[in-house]
Amino acid sequence: MAAAEKPTIQQQVDDLIGGPQYALTQANKDAALTPILRELCRDVARRCPGYGRFLDKFGGDLDSWRSPADAPPLPVSMFKRFLLAAVPPEKIVRELHSSSTTGRDPSRIIIDKTTAFRQARALVAILKEHLGTRRRPYLVLDCADAAAAGDSLTARGAAIRGVANFASETVYAMDLDSTGDLAVAWDRVADFFDRHRGEPVLSFGFTFIVWTRFVVEAERRGLAFDSPEAVLLHSGGWKKLTEQAVSKDEFSRRAAAVFGTSADNISDFYGMVEQVGTVFVDCPAGNKHAPAFADVILRRPLSLAEAAPGETGIIEVLSALPTSYPGHALLTEDMGVLLGVDDCPCGRKGKYFRFTSRVEQAAVRGCGDTFAQSRELK
Amino acid sequence: MTVQRITPDGIIPAGNDLAPIIDSLQRCRERIADVPINRLLDLLDDFARRLLRDSRTAGLEGAMFLGAWLRKANLRQMLELNLGGNTAALDGFVPQGRNHIAAKPHGLVSMWMAGNVATLPMFSLVPALLAKNVCLVKLALPEANGMDRLLAVLAESESEDITGRELLDAMAVVWFDFRDKKLNDQMSLAADAKLVWGGAEAVRAISLLPRREHCIEIVFGPKYSIGLIGKATLESDKLDAVVDGFVRDVAIFDQRACSAPQTIFVERNSRRSLEAVGRLFAERLSRLPPKPELDAYTTGRILQVRAEWAIDESKDVIASADGANWTVLLDREPTLKEAVQSRTIFLSEVDSWREVVPLLSPKVQTVGLALGGIDDSLAFAESATRAGVARCVRPGIMNNYESPWDGKLLVGELVRWVVLKP
Repeated sequence: MAAAEKPTIQQQVDDLIGGPQYALTQANKDAALTPILRELCRDVARRCPGYGRFLDKFGGDLDSWRSPADAPPLPVSMFKRFLLAAVPPEKIVRELHSSSTTGRDPSRIIIDKTTAFRQARALVAILKEHLGTRRRPYLVLDCADAAAAGDSLTARGAAIRGVANFASETVYAMDLDSTGDLAVAWDRVADFFDRHRGEPVLSFGFTFIVWTRFVVEAERRGLAFDSPEAVLLHSGGWKKLTEQAVSKDEFSRRAAAVFGTSADNISDFYGMVEQVGTVFVDCPAGNKHAPAFADVILRRPLSLAEAAPGETGIIEVLSALPTSYPGHALLTEDMGVLLGVDDCPCGRKGKYFRFTSRVEQAAVRGCGDTFAQSRELK
Repeated sequence: MTVQRITPDGIIPAGNDLAPIIDSLQRCRERIADVPINRLLDLLDDFARRLLRDSRTAGLEGAMFLGAWLRKANLRQMLELNLGGNTAALDGFVPQGRNHIAAKPHGLVSMWMAGNVATLPMFSLVPALLAKNVCLVKLALPEANGMDRLLAVLAESESEDITGRELLDAMAVVWFDFRDKKLNDQMSLAADAKLVWGGAEAVRAISLLPRREHCIEIVFGPKYSIGLIGKATLESDKLDAVVDGFVRDVAIFDQRACSAPQTIFVERNSRRSLEAVGRLFAERLSRLPPKPELDAYTTGRILQVRAEWAIDESKDVIASADGANWTVLLDREPTLKEAVQSRTIFLSEVDSWREVVPLLSPKVQTVGLALGGIDDSLAFAESATRAGVARCVRPGIMNNYESPWDGKLLVGELVRWVVLKP
């Protein structure tokens, strides 16, 4: 009798996306992901010479990789510095870019058909585990322009579109005013909640936009909606909210009050434009888990060794989704704390963690601090 | 309690007001002015001997150099240079032709220190005290960072007319949050001279604080330092020693000092390729003991430049296998690379040192110079210092604090020259 044929890497990735997202123990996930990451990295390195040089320099002997942590993490900022494409121009179906609110060069992420398909499928697979399969009325806490169709898309747009897979009807809560600023169309919002009174509805927006444009403004106007079955997903940076001393608990409590729902229905998810489709959603215990086709590593500064439970580290995200760019092992500019492995109270397996802060420059660097002054040097 | 005072016994809370500390310092002005300069030098000489023997201070980063710098002969030489050979003018009027001159203290010197070099406060305090000023020193970080131990050993030091404990009365070392406007204003308004070490943002903010009309301001702002290895050195057998020197300059203070080399230019030559020079640096860096710790930001910066230099076809990188310990980055672009610090060296190949000169400005403080020939060294130093560079020194001593520093003779700036025409 012939031995069963080993599934291809493509099949293995598809199986992980199609299966349960939080059932693999960490040991089983390591065993499943290591060969996939090895082959994906090797393949992309062949087709993207810049990444090939990086992998040659820091990847060592790929066949000796024993865990996903052996894949050298590529700093996410490299997508701002280089166009890292592993497909020819005719195979590109979309270019994703970061919002670049800081005015710096945005990240540019090249997407081919396979990656786009996997990203969409993967996001649905993750959200299904949190929302169920039923489609619901979808209130986007943003404007339609943010997710407009085209050859390029921002992180905001990609997330809005991804969540729209669960929509039975989509309503954008905001418009751009004459100054280009976001303004809530409160009549439209009230109409949405009136038409769907008592129904489970879904809402999504970027954290800072949700807070400043929707929650605080609704409070100022004395508005609250009666939508106990509403679920709000939000994503994006916490830096500006941290500066305003708004904690995650306060955000959830006050957003829930405006929606008229429970704070348990307000969920933050961690994700980035460099890995669209791979998101880390809060579980009922308030922790973030990696889906089956992805993982997270908290790296200790200096040694870059994996942090132990209870330790903070620089967040590295791993994903088996990309085929058109080297996005399989990315070192972020965020810090997190690893809380445990396989034993989250919510029952999900694998590592679980929480985001803690952006990686910040030390406040005091002294007279040798010539960072960001290279242009001033001459 | 918002003010923390660093004392020989550790850090103690000191209330929300600097006035009691300032009053106490003002009361010491006469006492320190009366101490003969030779006695102050004797006291510091005793301190120098003790700090190298004392287990509390001997292991501090930079202690060895500080101990040598504090020796009487060195400080006397510094005073002679700083005061134009009139060291005795610190003790009173001395004849100057038909007249008399004296070097008087400004009074109270307020010092805002940078946080990158643990022993830095001593290099500000000692010149100010030798000029017989009283000193209020604000540290950048809430940790004592060895300053408490240095003060403890100083307190036990002695000389004929003054003890270390008495000298401590003429200084106060404090920490408070840099955003505390009230305390910063208080410190600035009390000053007869302001002495500021720090990055651009800190220096600008402190300069904007209110001050009295007569108050002078001395600023040691952000600087960048480089190295230069010439063809003659590269084609000789001296390269090993030169690389050893640069690696020492990189290792001390984790390359955070303004005098630490960040970019080292390497002249094209017939004996050694840039890659071979890079491998030599890598080999020497790998001999250093591992770094004890590193913040996440610098770790991230190191990984970013490593990746950037690896991806770019025209560049190359050699890096430690054990995390973010050390990194050598190679390219052929005659530019000053943004400093990453923490054992991260950019080696840039140039055809000639003349390509480096246009990159120089007053922002460049020290050049570690290893051109090999005296004629080239003099020609380069002439061009570099005209462009604004403060020091051209051999590799291995780039971080040695000396006078002049950043173009300033500090003791000379911390006295007021007065004249008597009888």
